[in-house]
Amino acid sequence: MKHKRWSRAAAYLAIAISSLIMIVPFVTTLMNSLKTYKEYTSVPPRWIPETLQWSNYAKVLELGNFGQYTLNSLYVAALSVAGAVFSCSLVGYAFARLRFPMKSALFVMVLGTMMIPPVVIIIPHFIIFNNMRLLDTLTPLWVIEWLAQPFGIFLMRQAFMNIPKEYEESAKMEGCNPFQIYLRIFVPMANPTIATLVIFTFMGKWNEILAPVIYLTTNEKFTLPIGILSLGGQWVGNEQLMVAAALISLIPILALFLFAEKYFVQNHASSGIK
Amino acid sequence: MAITWKKTMLAASLTLTLAATGCGSNNANNGASSEGASGSASAPASSSDTGASASASAASGEKVDILLGYYSDEKSDSKMKELIGQFTAAHPNINVKTQSAPYGQFYQKLDTQIAAGTAPDVWLSDGVYVMKYAERGAAKDLTDWIAKDLKADDYYGLEYNKDANGRYWGVPQGIQVGVLFYNKDMFDKAGVAYPTDDWTWEDLKTNAAKLTIDAKGMTEGESGFDKNNVNQFGLTFFSITEGWFSVLKSYGGGVLDETGKKSAIDSAQNKQAFEWIVDGMNRGIVTDPVDLKSFQSNTAVFPSGSAAMRIGLYARVLAANEAGLNYDVTVLPKGPDGKRVAPVIANSWVVNAKSSDAKAQAAWEWIKYWATQDDVQKQWAELGEAVPVKKSVANSDVFLKAGAQPANRQAFLDSLGFAQTLDVNAVWEEWVGKFNDNAQKAFLGDTSIDDALKSANTDVQKVLDDFYLNK
Repeated sequence: MKHKRWSRAAAYLAIAISSLIMIVPFVTTLMNSLKTYKEYTSVPPRWIPETLQWSNYAKVLELGNFGQYTLNSLYVAALSVAGAVFSCSLVGYAFARLRFPMKSALFVMVLGTMMIPPVVIIIPHFIIFNNMRLLDTLTPLWVIEWLAQPFGIFLMRQAFMNIPKEYEESAKMEGCNPFQIYLRIFVPMANPTIATLVIFTFMGKWNEILAPVIYLTTNEKFTLPIGILSLGGQWVGNEQLMVAAALISLIPILALFLFAEKYFVQNHASSGIK
Repeated sequence: MAITWKKTMLAASLTLTLAATGCGSNNANNGASSEGASGSASAPASSSDTGASASASAASGEKVDILLGYYSDEKSDSKMKELIGQFTAAHPNINVKTQSAPYGQFYQKLDTQIAAGTAPDVWLSDGVYVMKYAERGAAKDLTDWIAKDLKADDYYGLEYNKDANGRYWGVPQGIQVGVLFYNKDMFDKAGVAYPTDDWTWEDLKTNAAKLTIDAKGMTEGESGFDKNNVNQFGLTFFSITEGWFSVLKSYGGGVLDETGKKSAIDSAQNKQAFEWIVDGMNRGIVTDPVDLKSFQSNTAVFPSGSAAMRIGLYARVLAANEAGLNYDVTVLPKGPDGKRVAPVIANSWVVNAKSSDAKAQAAWEWIKYWATQDDVQKQWAELGEAVPVKKSVANSDVFLKAGAQPANRQAFLDSLGFAQTLDVNAVWEEWVGKFNDNAQKAFLGDTSIDDALKSANTDVQKVLDDFYLNK
């Protein structure tokens, strides 16, 4: 009995320490967002500001078109997530389960495109979207995700390959066609992976800076990262404002993560063959 | 069965395609009206026939759309939009669409646009990049227009955008010139007299030593002074503009020769200047590259109250004021032979070489409006980001009495008398990188000064040759 209590105490202690380690950077960020410029730059750093500058948050919301930026970011992220889940799961399913000529060669080619540094394709993309008259619209930012990105394909293929063949066979016997097998059997079973893909895509799009900067011209179409960066300016850092803005922009990601996490655990509990 | 699922897939992919293109075409209308205005209508224009066509500009009455690009933050963005609004009100035949982005991202976008042929008709270029655009054929030769429409004596810095062949590639939008910033509280506390315009770099170092304080509150000469644990530096110093450039130049050295195509790094004068720098860093008086790492940024040392002096451009006033320092400025120190050099950057308006004549002329109207209108210059000066280009405004209270601090704003104007651009050429960014890599090794004592200068000389020359010999 005594032994059990001790081990429990040790476990709690370990959890407490590790959560403290996790939370320190976050609290530091929060504190930085509540400093004046002087406190922010002071050396040695001052951890807790003398007076909490809540007005930094008001300034952030006042300075830029932040409501619009957030809407734009949400719009891009939502459409990207939908596109990534739809296209990557379809293509991943094909690579995992269907038989067609040149399958492995094609898959290697898909993986090969992951090796191309993104900066190399900026100018070709720009020219293509320019010819399509899509510059200064949000379309280039999300439409690419509907064309199945290699990382997502790889992720989904691996998930589908791990699903035992027996499911597929019994579904076939029940009269399902491959698309129905994909939709009714494979997709629900790959939900944890899809949740991962959702988070990755959402975070990637939410934080993306290069593409929005290059494709967007009008202020009303800017996404959040550009908005946050424009708080800085060339000459005065205003980092404390940028930190405050970054924290505000964190809220949707946190919300998404909390939502997806629940989903994540649920699915793990109910999967597997008995 | 097999047929039906194939049909389903086909239908699905068709719907998707339609959805995507449908959405696209909705937005494309916006895209077409904005980008199309600048891109599609542009006819090839040669950069030599500038003067002849300039006269036809505003008079014709035909409506011209131009795309104007600039880097900005939220504050300068709204000011710029205001000024553009005033411009279009005065020029009803010119429609201005703007494109702005934060400083760093602006150039990523601009370079992509230039490659794709959709760059703005007129854009604001950092002074150090003007030659990059000029020598790569992206910027229009403005020599004739400047000669015709601008009185050279009225402006600071027109010649900063002049190349070795006497051609002008841009018109300054605002000027950044380097001076010596000093923290008055620190000087008072140490009982050191404020810097004067008689100071040489040696004087600066002698005084900076008295202002260098370690973690235990000791200064150099006191027993137990720890030069590796300095809390307050005498002088903060980094990279080219606000670092080694003015030291090298006032010692009679420099990086490039007057053609801008040959490295002149390996010289006795540069060695002497480097000895001054490295000695200061060794003694803990001047921030070395490692010291700088403990700060939020290279520029934060002075505003955070961790250095008594800095070499700073005009815009550094903003951060110093924001931090509430008690400070002032004076001209930079002299070299051993009395030579004095201030670094200068003229951020400039550049016209797209590929823009049609009509658009280029409309762009020139904007530049002219910016440069000649006192009111525009005054409004921009109020932001406090740059020294006004127009002498009449710079020498008025609008600039000289713009704020309580720094009191000696005249020092910025005086410095323009001995200012030099940063040996700017088409590959400025590249050679500065190479120079800094080598200089850093000498600053940290990893190599001797001789070796660092030799190796910098080779590396920089290679950068120059790669561009100019293959051109």
